[in-house]
Amino acid sequence: MRRALTLFITQFLLWAVVSQVNHSLAGRHVYLWVGGLFVTYGALSLSLRSGLLSSFLAGLLLDAVSPVAFGMHALLFAAAHALVFHVRDRVPRDETAGRVVIALFANLTLFLVFSVFLIDDAPTPAAAWPRLIFDLVCSQVFLALIAPWFMALQARTVELSDALAVVYVRRFR
Amino acid sequence: MLAWLFVPVVVKTFTRASFFELTAPVDATASHARDLQEFWSLRGHSKSELIEAGRDLARLNASYSLSVQQNAELRAQITRLESLLRMPAYANYRAEPARVARRDFSGWWQRMTIRKGSNYGIVVGAPVVFTGGAVGRVVEVHAYTSVVDLISSPRLRIAGVVEGDDRPISFQGGENRTFGPARGVLEFVPLDIFADARNPKRLVTSGYGGVFPPGLFIGTIVKVEPSPDGLFKTGEIELDPNLSMLHEVTVLVPLDRD
Repeated sequence: MRRALTLFITQFLLWAVVSQVNHSLAGRHVYLWVGGLFVTYGALSLSLRSGLLSSFLAGLLLDAVSPVAFGMHALLFAAAHALVFHVRDRVPRDETAGRVVIALFANLTLFLVFSVFLIDDAPTPAAAWPRLIFDLVCSQVFLALIAPWFMALQARTVELSDALAVVYVRRFR
Repeated sequence: MLAWLFVPVVVKTFTRASFFELTAPVDATASHARDLQEFWSLRGHSKSELIEAGRDLARLNASYSLSVQQNAELRAQITRLESLLRMPAYANYRAEPARVARRDFSGWWQRMTIRKGSNYGIVVGAPVVFTGGAVGRVVEVHAYTSVVDLISSPRLRIAGVVEGDDRPISFQGGENRTFGPARGVLEFVPLDIFADARNPKRLVTSGYGGVFPPGLFIGTIVKVEPSPDGLFKTGEIELDPNLSMLHEVTVLVPLDRD
């Protein structure tokens, strides 16, 4: 529970940064979406319960600020989390490059699934795909650039939280 | 995961509102920080630049005060005609200017968060405008912020009319190309209306839906072609490019709801 909440704080920071970047890019009609990054570290490094809870909370956060059915992001993130967790022993999860590649795959899959669900809202769905594909390419490049920083931040935050918990237990129990 | 599907709606609504309010301070703080940044960049201007800006403003004020007088005369005329012809009066609105806190323009949706909410009496469904015409409609009202669905969003439909015509046309946003102005699609265009990129026509709000007052500019019709059924035409409309760079908008709060 503590690790899940710690991870959620970093995910909240990621949401804040990305939303401000999107605000600045709005005039250029470019949109960055890094849903895969919300899921990857928790799925590769934490226990199933803690990681799943943090991914679910991050999904609820994105649901609250998006015009989609409440729980859509949360359920998709939880599904992606379960999938990455299932394969994590078969991938190089201790190397940064390996983690970034997994984040890229997770982001690609989530973006496409999300688009398939939402494309029907567009009056001409076929005309919406070029924009979505361009956004996807930009999102993947952006994700590849910030993933090492963000995963390092998550790792350090979890370490700090563990250390504080140890100190608390020693002093007050 | 499946358990989430059976969670009561009340719990989901409360959770959604809680998570949204968690994010609201981030948007508001970032928006205030941008305002501060703008303030300090304006402080860097020289005195001669300020004098020039003041002179331009004085000219604008003079022309606006003339427009205000004309507006008052026209309003009086409208009221007189309405009472003579026993026509129902148009809904009255209170103009509430608001700063844009966050723009969220994806290929899936087009929304913006403004820095005023129920604390300023904003209501769901209130139309939002700017100097270039219609912006969108308020879809969510929170304690200190509101969310506006833009006319470029595929989720918004408006009844419009070609300027000078009174037959309604259905407008829907949705074609938001990268690096270009947003576009929308038109349906139920009468067969005798012709427009193309060289001879564009202006689409304005009709006022029929009861949300937007009539006469607000929506966009420029750049293409119309016969629809497959042959009864009407379909078309494309180009929206104002400034729509994606707004810093301030005005919410028209209906007075009869106050």
